Formats: sequence, C-alpha cells, structure tokens
Amino acid sequence: MDERLNAEENLRVIRQLMERVTVYRAISAPTALVGGILSILAAGAVYYNNEVQLVLGRAVRPREFAVLWIVVLVLAAIANAYFLWREAARSGRPFVSSGMKLALQAITPNLLIPAAFTLWFFQTGYLGAQELELVTVWVAFYGLGLLATALFAPRSLAILGWAFLLTALATPVLSEWIDRLTDDAPDTIMGLTFGLYHLIYAITTWPRSRRMAAGRPLAE
Amino acid sequence: MLEFNKLDKAIHEKGRLAIMTLLATRVSWSYGDLKAELGMSDGNLITHLRTLHKLGLVATTKEVRNRPQTSYSLTRKGRSAFTEYLRVLENIIKVGKR
Repeated sequence: MDERLNAEENLRVIRQLMERVTVYRAISAPTALVGGILSILAAGAVYYNNEVQLVLGRAVRPREFAVLWIVVLVLAAIANAYFLWREAARSGRPFVSSGMKLALQAITPNLLIPAAFTLWFFQTGYLGAQELELVTVWVAFYGLGLLATALFAPRSLAILGWAFLLTALATPVLSEWIDRLTDDAPDTIMGLTFGLYHLIYAITTWPRSRRMAAGRPLAE
Repeated sequence: MLEFNKLDKAIHEKGRLAIMTLLATRVSWSYGDLKAELGMSDGNLITHLRTLHKLGLVATTKEVRNRPQTSYSLTRKGRSAFTEYLRVLENIIKVGKR
C-alpha cells in the first residue's frame, strides 16, 4: 500500500513539475481584469467625450487617442509584471523564469510592426485620422503575439489570441456597421477587444489560476 | 515489492528525479535555468548532475559565448531509463489498485 502511495506521489510530482515548466501563462487573470477594466474606462471616457458631452470642448484628437491607449498598455504591463512577480514569490520560483524567457522570445517579434506603425501614426498617420487602421494593427498583432505562445500556454490564452486575430480580420467588414451603431468604430473595437475580451478571459480563468497559485513548490 | 525493486535508484532520489523530469521536457537546459527552476543549492545540483552524468544518463555541453555556459540534456540511455521509471511507477499503482 505504501509503495502505491509513494508511486502516486512521485507521479504527481513529475506531472506538476512538467506542467510547471511546459505551461506558462504570460497574462494572469488579475492582469486581464485590470487591463479589461482600464480599457473599458478608456473607451468609455472617449465615447462619453465624443458622443455624449464634449468634456474637452472638442472631440478627442487622433494622437490623444493613441496616447491614451499607450498609457493603458503601460499600466496593464506594470500590473502584469507585479502579478507575475507576486505569484513567483508566493510559489518560491524566480520572477524571470525559463518560461518567461520563452514567452518573451515568442511575443517580442510580434510587437515590432505595431511599434513601427504607431511611430508612423504619431508622425504622419494621425493627419489622415487613421485610428481604425492603427487599432486593427494593434488588435491583430496582439492576437498574433498571444498565439505565438500557444505551444506552451494554456488553451484559454490561445483562444483569447484567436478572438483578437479574428476580430482584426473582421474589422474591414464590420467597421461601417459599428460606426453606424456607435459613431466611433476605433474606440468601440478597442473597448470590445482589450476591454470585454480581457474581462471574459479573467472571469473564465480566475478559478483555475487560483488553484495553480495554491500549488506547492516542487523538489525543494 | 518486486516492482518496487525495479525502480532505478539513481532516478528515484527526489532531487535527481526533479532534474530528470525537467531534462525530459526540453532538448537542453542551461545550468542557470535548472538552478532557478529547482531552487537547489549549487553544491546539491552539481553533485546530482555529476552522478547522473557518470551513469551516462545526462550529457553535458560547454559553450563560450559572452561567458562560459554549461547545458545539460538527457542521453538516449537517460531518456529510456526515465521512460522505464515511469512505466514501473504506473505498474506499482495498477498492482496496488487490484
């Protein structure tokens, strides 16, 4: 009987250790919640100013729109770093783990085109009010970045990546319809993707990530 | 009891089992990543790696890029020993359930 219990315990340890190093969640549920709420607030603020009451006395300008979303990105990135650090500290693992290095290697190339496109937008793109193009590039490459981690990420993260990518692909078709509905397609798409999608991800992955966080460190 | 005796004693030790498990997940692991992931002391980790290397279960690769770096991987013998170890564990559980 003891032999069987020992064997079960060893198999459990092997399985947990393998999962720990082969599954890496680059975006934790709390980060998604913070990012989702910030995005909804940002999109709501732009919509309120442009469509309900001109708080600024004018509509939000293209470059202000981009700056606002870059601020949201920076705040969400800081929150993500904090939550990953907290989880690493809680489980006795290094913050910059081999999984994080792998995730950064996979995600980084997908950020180059959005970064270059954003630079272009700030230089000349804003003159033509190309927010919709900017938003489409952001959403598409964010989705691709998440999908680049699919080999070692939980399935939920890959689904989130597909949701972003498919939304970006559907934008040329749906943007006119969204514009008729809200009169502000770029802002609505940002609120829908970075806001609503992240909130859904946070709600659906929260219980699982709590269980993972509660797991004991192995092979001390 | 007989099945238990079939377990590879070199792998069955807790620290070495953790090392073998990590090495089984990727082509190779750098010493730094192994140490960070397992949270073992240098002395402990090096001793276990030497033991596994001497037994022919683990291969060592030394590279000098910006600084010297040692990587470890499972040998063919190491991979089959690990697979066999898992098979014996599964058998023990199956027999115990009967």
